Amino acid sequence: MKNTITNEFLKREAQLQTRRSLFANTAAGLGGIALGNMLNGESQGAIPGRLDVAGQKSGEGLPGLPHFAPKAKRVIYLFQSGGPSHVDLFDNKEFLEKHHGSDLPASIMGGQRLTGMTARQSSFPVVKALWGGKRCGDHGTWIGNLLPHHQTIADDMTIIRSMWTEAINHDPAVTYINTGSQQMGHASMGAWLSYGLGRENDNFPAYMVLLSQGTGKNPGQPLFSRLWGSGYLPSSHQGVMLRPGANPVLYLQNPPGVSRNARRRLLDTLGDLNRQQAEAVGDPETLARVEAYEMAYRMQTSVPDLADLSDEPDSTFELYGEEARRPGTFAANCLMARRMAERGVRFIQLFHRGWDQHISIKTQLPRQCQDVDRASAALVKDLKRLGMLDDTLVIWGGEFGRTVYSQGELGAPTSGRDHHGRCFTTWMAGGGIKGGYDHGVTDDYAYNIAENPVHIRDLNATILNQLGIDHGKFSFKFRGLNQRLTGVEEAHVVKDIIA
Amino acid sequence: MKEKERIDELLAELAVGTLDESGQAELKALLENSPEALDHYLDHCDMETWLTAAGDTLRAPNFATPPEFALTQKNQRPTIWWKAAAAMVALIAVALVIFSSVEKPDLEEDPVVVEEIKEPENPVKPMLVADATPARDPWKVINSTGSVKHPGLTEAAVPKTRKADRPVKFNRDIRPILSETCFHCHGPDEHGRRADLRLDSLAGAAEDLGGTVAIAPGDLKKSEAWWRIISDDPDELMPPPESHLALTEPQKALVKRWIEEGAEYEGHWAYVAPVKADAAAIESDWGKNDIDQFVFARLEEEGLSPSGEAKANTMIRRLTFDLTGLPPTAEEVVAFESDYAKRGEVAWQDAITRMLASPHFGERMAAPWMDQARYADTNGYSIDGGRHMWLWRDWVIQSYNENKPFDEFVVEQIAGDLLPNATDAQRIATGFNRNHMITHEGGTIPDENLTNYVADRVKTTSEVFLGLTMACAQCHDHKYDPISTKDYYQFFSFFNELSDKGNDGNAGKNAVPNMMAKTVIVSDELVGLEADFEAVKADFESSEGGFDEWLSAMQSKEADRAKAFKIHEMELLDVSSPNRPGPYAVQEDGSVLVSVPSKGMNAFSHAFHLTGETSLNGIRVRFSPHQAEGAEAAVLTPHPDGVPKITAILISAGEQPAMQVDIYRQLKLVEATASSSAPGFSPEGVLDERNLHWWKPTEKTRDEHLTITFDEPVDPEKTPYLSVMVFFGQAASLPYHWRVDAFSGNDTESVLPGAVATLVAKDPGSWTGPERKSVLDTFRKMEPSLEPKRVRIANLQERIDILTKPHSTMVMDVAPKPRETHILDRGQYDVKLEKVSSNTPSVLMPLKADGKADRLDLARWMVDPEHPLTARVAVNRIWAMLFGTGIVATSADFGSQGEWPSHPELLDWLAVDFVENGWDQKALIRKIASSAAYRQDSAASDEIRELDPKNRLLARGPRFRIGAEFVRDQALAVSGLLVPRIGGPSVQPYQPPGLWKEVSHFGSSPATKQVFVQDKGEKLYRRSLYTITKRTSPHPVMAAFDAPNREMCIVQRGVTNTPVQALVTLNDPQFAEASRVYAAKLIRETQSLDERERLVHAFREITSRAPLDSELNALGSFLTDERARYEADKSAALQLVSVGDSPPASDLDPVEQAVWTQVSSLLLNLSETLTRL
Repeated sequence: MKNTITNEFLKREAQLQTRRSLFANTAAGLGGIALGNMLNGESQGAIPGRLDVAGQKSGEGLPGLPHFAPKAKRVIYLFQSGGPSHVDLFDNKEFLEKHHGSDLPASIMGGQRLTGMTARQSSFPVVKALWGGKRCGDHGTWIGNLLPHHQTIADDMTIIRSMWTEAINHDPAVTYINTGSQQMGHASMGAWLSYGLGRENDNFPAYMVLLSQGTGKNPGQPLFSRLWGSGYLPSSHQGVMLRPGANPVLYLQNPPGVSRNARRRLLDTLGDLNRQQAEAVGDPETLARVEAYEMAYRMQTSVPDLADLSDEPDSTFELYGEEARRPGTFAANCLMARRMAERGVRFIQLFHRGWDQHISIKTQLPRQCQDVDRASAALVKDLKRLGMLDDTLVIWGGEFGRTVYSQGELGAPTSGRDHHGRCFTTWMAGGGIKGGYDHGVTDDYAYNIAENPVHIRDLNATILNQLGIDHGKFSFKFRGLNQRLTGVEEAHVVKDIIA
Repeated sequence: MKEKERIDELLAELAVGTLDESGQAELKALLENSPEALDHYLDHCDMETWLTAAGDTLRAPNFATPPEFALTQKNQRPTIWWKAAAAMVALIAVALVIFSSVEKPDLEEDPVVVEEIKEPENPVKPMLVADATPARDPWKVINSTGSVKHPGLTEAAVPKTRKADRPVKFNRDIRPILSETCFHCHGPDEHGRRADLRLDSLAGAAEDLGGTVAIAPGDLKKSEAWWRIISDDPDELMPPPESHLALTEPQKALVKRWIEEGAEYEGHWAYVAPVKADAAAIESDWGKNDIDQFVFARLEEEGLSPSGEAKANTMIRRLTFDLTGLPPTAEEVVAFESDYAKRGEVAWQDAITRMLASPHFGERMAAPWMDQARYADTNGYSIDGGRHMWLWRDWVIQSYNENKPFDEFVVEQIAGDLLPNATDAQRIATGFNRNHMITHEGGTIPDENLTNYVADRVKTTSEVFLGLTMACAQCHDHKYDPISTKDYYQFFSFFNELSDKGNDGNAGKNAVPNMMAKTVIVSDELVGLEADFEAVKADFESSEGGFDEWLSAMQSKEADRAKAFKIHEMELLDVSSPNRPGPYAVQEDGSVLVSVPSKGMNAFSHAFHLTGETSLNGIRVRFSPHQAEGAEAAVLTPHPDGVPKITAILISAGEQPAMQVDIYRQLKLVEATASSSAPGFSPEGVLDERNLHWWKPTEKTRDEHLTITFDEPVDPEKTPYLSVMVFFGQAASLPYHWRVDAFSGNDTESVLPGAVATLVAKDPGSWTGPERKSVLDTFRKMEPSLEPKRVRIANLQERIDILTKPHSTMVMDVAPKPRETHILDRGQYDVKLEKVSSNTPSVLMPLKADGKADRLDLARWMVDPEHPLTARVAVNRIWAMLFGTGIVATSADFGSQGEWPSHPELLDWLAVDFVENGWDQKALIRKIASSAAYRQDSAASDEIRELDPKNRLLARGPRFRIGAEFVRDQALAVSGLLVPRIGGPSVQPYQPPGLWKEVSHFGSSPATKQVFVQDKGEKLYRRSLYTITKRTSPHPVMAAFDAPNREMCIVQRGVTNTPVQALVTLNDPQFAEASRVYAAKLIRETQSLDERERLVHAFREITSRAPLDSELNALGSFLTDERARYEADKSAALQLVSVGDSPPASDLDPVEQAVWTQVSSLLLNLSETLTRL
């Protein structure tokens, strides 16, 4: 190459166009490919993967992604399944205190679709935040008293009180927020990220899932494998579940009587034979399979190492609570999430069941909150302590909120709150999101959105944005359509909450 | 900024190729760790991106005068382009140097023609780090399958032709471009259409729009669309930038040529009836039948030639997998090899005949059909309780085995109930459109659910049979295909006339409409079954082996009954019943009082703290009568029979207090006894968690108790917390008042029925005949060593019932007063517009119906020989099964957005031929399997793989990983474990514990299929298409190998390659058991062979070929090492050879068996074994 291009030259030319207009015109180019590889191929040395003969990049992730410099390297999504009561936890108003027990005005309720649960109710008495709350953080945001530990991290999070969804029942709603569609068959957020960004390391999958059951309502609403499924994306991107117990990943343990050495010996011979065949018939898939077996072998130690908490000091459990010692609890899963984040798992999603307080909210909600409060806050504090909060996006929220009005007779021990999709609360922390910030306002009844609505599509667009992805450009063609995590309708990044 | 400068330095060094390894590492670290540096770098990338685009306009190869042409167009950009383009080249080089990750053909195809770059033809190539071993991605998708899930496929699956001068064809070359980039706004959807411009027809495209026309045939300059496509003004550019759509340079070149050549439009190929071209007119001296003529012609067009025939052993393995889903036995391979050598074609035809006649053919064909028909054993949605549709699945298997003509296959599934004098079998067939998900979730709106069900039928029917994505038109006119919303709802109307309900399917009962019928499986196994059953039963009923030991054990157990029994009160920390609306309270004495026991199902969780040091052997739940206010007397419950009903008890112990039972650490409960039991409600019932059986006491006015014994005592010092969940899982079962205590010592009650307990205490010599029999019956019921016989009897009995008794299945019908169908505004169930009646889409041939059209008219319309889609879609499906990819790769979409067929004439020829031959599927399969194209060797050179990565031209044989079911079936078949029974209810083979519970509604409702209970005996070894499909928690082995969860119709699966798959085939007990059982079989069957011969034998049995010497040596050395390993650790050997439920081969040396188990496992995990070559 005889033309020596100086950096001055590069710089000058670069200034000719702003990045925005450049991106508007074209698909991502070579630089993007290079970067994609660079971030993915960790263990492969300084010159990571290249396109194999079939045209697919072997270091994973898509060429051209991320579209721009990401603020977050990874996401921990603490999904609260069942619909946490935003009124009791995040969105109380003095107005409600005053109007406790009065009937919700028809003007507020509008012509809204109600679930089969309360559609036939004759009155809709307003219920204030049952346990009160207090102003927290420098900006004095309101957080319910059932979440005392949340009250201590107010300065680290953005609370979005103006989330909304069209769905009013669990199955469609939880599918909607996790896959961008109320219908089945779409890819989950984690699968999208695994597909687009690939893995950060070679010892763990890009997308891992943990489940827990709250004590508030047991059993909580069911979960479905589609929530972490890959939909139309290749199933290699589906979430891999980390479970409590001896086999944290299914089938991780060798059969009884097969030692690690024996397995190593078997894989060596297997690899040898496979390579001989691949050479003889020219089959790159066989080589890919050898690599898959090697990663399986690495996971046999990397996963138990991840799940073994014996290296955690007591201070960890002071932070997360003693419950974190009990595998399978939400607290243990939060701790596990931090450990995964440390090891480079890109998308970590906890599904915590039990937030469906139709009945007996007075006994159920405190239990349910107690399960999650301390550990959720601990996770944020812990990431901050480790210097990881800056590039780790933590999200906490469910598929919808709950009605301000009572389901069942006001004050009865059996009363609760029904599903409510017209507004609810989600909070985010880290990963380039503002700390100590409130976004969106609901009306006096915490029933409708008054300012800055954030549709669940907008939330998802924002999550992608923090990872350096333009949601509009991140698509997968299936059945003739360009499928997106944010669906076919408009979605906007919530710029106000970005630091 | 310092970092930026450093980055620039490093990049500059890279650009000139002087950056060493440490520099590269530094650059990488900088980019990863510094957002600013990354930003800066991206700025460079941005520019490169922009330059690429700018450069594209400059260098489009077909432009006569490249720069001028582009620049005359409203171009505001200065001449700085030239420099910029040079910079771009430098950056490309930079990227390549660092990352060597760019596909080189791209660069070769479009060499940058820029003055200042004097560097030769290809400045880039030398920079490729060609020697770097490519890192293989362990989670990657296998490309060669052509799955619709593969992203690359829709982009460039059909290789670019080498012939640049092929005339432009609208359907092949232009429609896909316009469809992708224009039709969304300028297509068939009237409402979404912008600027009144329609580009999917010549009339629309050439319409005068006030002085301009979008497309002026033959006149590029007058074609406004062209100017818009190449415009660089964002306001003018089409498609607009915000759509994120753009035409590539080759696409622009094609559109340009098309306009210049006259902008000829064609009707969409798939909507025009196929015509059979004359295959014989194609000159070729290659091939076996007409199919090959077409394949060859296409190859020749590309200057390629077909591969030679695969070896005979590969051919028979391929055929056996393709047509039965099972591997051939080593004997079958050898027999075919010699037969083929002798008789050639006749031998091949015989082999095909044999496969098509195998009963496993129907199973193999049913597997993908079940995906398409979204067959499952649960209802889906959130509750996901059980259903019974296996009669329908068996109908599919039987239909394939009988070679039911495809037109009948379609008519019966769509409208079998409407056929004159419809048979049971024809009605069972209609289950096809009842396989969709069904809900009975409280809170959902029945009308909305019904709309969803019908929409699912429309989607599935149109995709599976017609290759049409009609679902798109549910909310708006189809954006790409000429299907209006009205078309959609007219089609919807056919399926909206059932008597089904919006909320149905609870408690494992099939939703209406359903019917009782016998299976259609034709089987000759009944005679043998009944004989087996009688023989095993007789044997069982005379079993006395072990009786004396059992009796003496029972005698001492009875003698020790209540020995050291002591109740230990536990500290009750918490009681909860989250699904119970009414109040309950903990009394001062630690008991629980429910003042108003509700009628519904309830479960109560108790959390206890254990004190003391004594190990605890179990718990006792005591119920006390309670006198409610105003009641006459104290009773256990206020419900009619006055006694509690307990369906299950779950217990876990832990180091931490836990309000809920830890489902991952449940204690194993071995005995349940009670103070009394009503007849038929014995206490063992609570040990089964499925709510099928329950205990209830006899008396309602006195204390009663239930006692549960753990298999291992609980040590309060180690696990001081106990969680106990008590299920009152039946209606009207909740008592007033109870308490839970722990006990140490021995239970006070007997595990024996009262009369037997009395007898056991006596001298056996004093028993009368009937008394002895009653003791023996109890022995046979309880004796562990008789378990295999009990299981076998139960399984045989069940199998006989399956074949002889009627069972429930869901079907289609027409309601007495069918629902009306309206167009729904944006698909919303409650926003009804115009009323419509049943009809077919107007773009296709008209429906023939006398009077009101019904489903039968629809079905007959679908299989009209003139129908343009049905036969094409059907033959494409079979082709895809045999070649991995269809001739149309998008098997479910033959519309505008679908992919252009790789061999359009062949597709049409096959379709017409299929109909001419009476829709004979076996004949079609034979025809394809007889072709030389099918028999080709699948080995390929790097060159041909690079040229045609997805093998769309068929210059080689197809090669792909076998499907999920067949991966498992192969291990079962090789080991001899496979139980080849056809049909019947789905089975529950090994599955890791807890999977269903961790997601399900377990404990909340009487919904079934919430608790997985593993089957035993032969049901562990059935073919995988019989493995239960629970939609919300599909079997992990099936899911790992890409089987869909059956929530919706999937026409073609993806094929991936992941570490999870490796974990399954190495570690799943099913596979480990298959290895050890195969090892035992191998050792027994090859006793006369030496070690090397035995290795050869095993290799042949598993891979269908003889090993090479080098392979044999590697295996030999492995064997030696493993022998040393297991000789040194015999207990490990014993463990390994005991995996799974099948009886141990105790006559064999465990070390030898373990060694060969490892060899078997290795061979079963060979890539070759898992691949259909």
